Amino acid sequence: MPIIKKIRFGALVREITMHQEEVSYNDLAPKIKQDHDGNDLAYRPTKLQVRSIDIYRLVQPYFKVRLIDQVKAVLPLAIYLILFQLLILRQDVTDSWVITAGLISVIIGLMFFMEGLKVGLMPFGETIGNVLPSKAKLPTVLLIAFLLGIGVTFAEPAIGALKAAGAIVDVESAPYLYSLLNNWSDVLVLMVGMGVGLAAVLGTLRFIYGWSLKPLIYLSLIPTIGLTLYIMTNSELSKMLGLAWDCGAVTTGPVTVPLVLSLGIGIATSAGKGRSSLSGFGIVTLASLFPIVAVELLAIYVSFVETPEMIIREAASVSNLATTINWHEKTPYVELLSGIRAIVPLVIFLIFILIFILKEKIKNPGTIAYGISLSVIGMIIFNVGLSYGLAKLGGQSGGLVPGAFTQVDLVNGSPLYNLTLGIFIAIAFAWILGFGATLAEPALNALGMTVENLTNGAFRKKLLMYAVSFGVGCGIALGILKIIYAIPIAYIVVPGYLLAIVLTYVSTEEFVNIAWDSAGVTTGPVTVPLVLAMGLGFGEAVGAIEGFGILSMASIGPIVSVMATGLWIQWKVKKRREREDKLVESTEGVSP
Amino acid sequence: MSKRNIVVLTDVALITCIVQKGIADTIVKAAQDAGAQGATVFYARGEGVRERLGVLGIAVEVEKEIVNIVVATDQIDRIFEKIYLVGNLDTPGMGLMYVTPLEKAATYIPKEIADKLSNEA
Repeated sequence: MPIIKKIRFGALVREITMHQEEVSYNDLAPKIKQDHDGNDLAYRPTKLQVRSIDIYRLVQPYFKVRLIDQVKAVLPLAIYLILFQLLILRQDVTDSWVITAGLISVIIGLMFFMEGLKVGLMPFGETIGNVLPSKAKLPTVLLIAFLLGIGVTFAEPAIGALKAAGAIVDVESAPYLYSLLNNWSDVLVLMVGMGVGLAAVLGTLRFIYGWSLKPLIYLSLIPTIGLTLYIMTNSELSKMLGLAWDCGAVTTGPVTVPLVLSLGIGIATSAGKGRSSLSGFGIVTLASLFPIVAVELLAIYVSFVETPEMIIREAASVSNLATTINWHEKTPYVELLSGIRAIVPLVIFLIFILIFILKEKIKNPGTIAYGISLSVIGMIIFNVGLSYGLAKLGGQSGGLVPGAFTQVDLVNGSPLYNLTLGIFIAIAFAWILGFGATLAEPALNALGMTVENLTNGAFRKKLLMYAVSFGVGCGIALGILKIIYAIPIAYIVVPGYLLAIVLTYVSTEEFVNIAWDSAGVTTGPVTVPLVLAMGLGFGEAVGAIEGFGILSMASIGPIVSVMATGLWIQWKVKKRREREDKLVESTEGVSP
Repeated sequence: MSKRNIVVLTDVALITCIVQKGIADTIVKAAQDAGAQGATVFYARGEGVRERLGVLGIAVEVEKEIVNIVVATDQIDRIFEKIYLVGNLDTPGMGLMYVTPLEKAATYIPKEIADKLSNEA
């Protein structure tokens, strides 16, 4: 009688397919050594040996993810501009190789810069935000917040675009504007920085005392609009208003917002005012209003010190002398120096606070050093790409678009279309550019999520994103119209902000916070230089005095559109409530 | 007492795989292709090997995703190996995986299958 042995089929499969070698963890685990007193010595792991395939596997995804993020921000816009130029304006892209190289360096520069920011600078912001309030008194804290506001403004990548724009301005037609952007450019950035610093101080106070944003908006708009009206009375000075209003949009970028916010929230948390749902909002709003006032004040000061004739004479003598360019004004060195100048002071300031005021040690100095050098390198590469890629491409498209409706030397056979159709094309171009660029902005996606949570889903993420993009699109289109018909900027900005004030008055606190902050979110490091350069090129082509002001339209647009959408949602919710109430009443009436 | 019948699964095991943030999706996909029914992913943070990699450690994300996959004991090795290969777990810093025996599990089982299997037993 044979003996039948049963084997589970699963066990058989397992036996014949296994390629597993077993090693006991006991053999691998380190043996703890003891010193001669018999105490255990702490185990220190040795450094690992890695194969080249390991390095590839680790670095490749790290690199790829970060690269794709920036490609997504740059490529669609560039493709849109180039296609528009080729298909609608039927013009070849001049210097296409330079622009391509420039765009690639923008992508790589931003990739390095953002990673450096995350690894090297953000840890400082978080530590300072958490520790500072417990170790220093409120005035010291506020002073540091103020100085930090100045420091981050210098480190903002888009600020370089302002300086690049200065080169295009014609000194004869707008002397004060020329002077502000060339002779006073460092003071200009400093004033913008002080505006941001003041916003950081007030925003922090708002966190601590839980102030409503509405009165702050009214109070900061009074000097902003008042000074605008005052400057309007001086015909020479009024040409810099576009610049002043644009400065507000330039400031709220990828360095300022997270660093200042982490400080503000840290202070508010330790002051016992916890994270209320709205605590993150408000600083961005103020940071985009105060710089306007600061720049307006600077312009008025300049108008007292210099006369237009002086500036023109000086510029003429400079341009005669400027046959020999110093080494530090040539291409690779200019970007190198401005990159170092943007990051290093901020870093020294942060380290100073950490070591001397907080008496904290720097954690992971190696990683921090890596992050900081990465952000400096990134800033340098980005600056090169800014002047050769973004500014050039934007300037070129801006200069060619008017060829659709008017005589432009660069465009053969211009005007390409009749006046009405041409202007319509130019405006449609601007609108789609604004709408698309905003919709692609990653910060907007993040804001959308926050808002959906805040409003318990009443304000859908998609709806907010479309409302903001719609506002920006209309703003940029309005900006183009302003340049074509040479409308003074105050005629648009003042009524626009007055409308915003009315909407602010009737809206609830949440929607006010969301709407005013959404303006700052939309202006990233790619959009700002591109739109600035486009406006200047456009202005030059149609013979306008200055092409600034488009960015400020792009700020007011979403404020109005988001608040209007907010009111519409409130109205809808109220309507539904009323209907439900009626339903309840009627059913109650039937069955007592 | 409730008259509801509970069908309990035996011969189940849990594969837990800890990988860098963003990788869980590829792990889950590979496990499902190898016959796993589903997976639970949650977030964590952890370090260890990262510090020992020196400069390369920067490329290793501190934030992790933990993938929990309940599998039949016969599936363990096939899925275990798939995850190992897809996740490149032989590279330092890529993650860690382990199998835990489970006593029993219960979930939705289509009624006809449950009836058929319990009749056979």
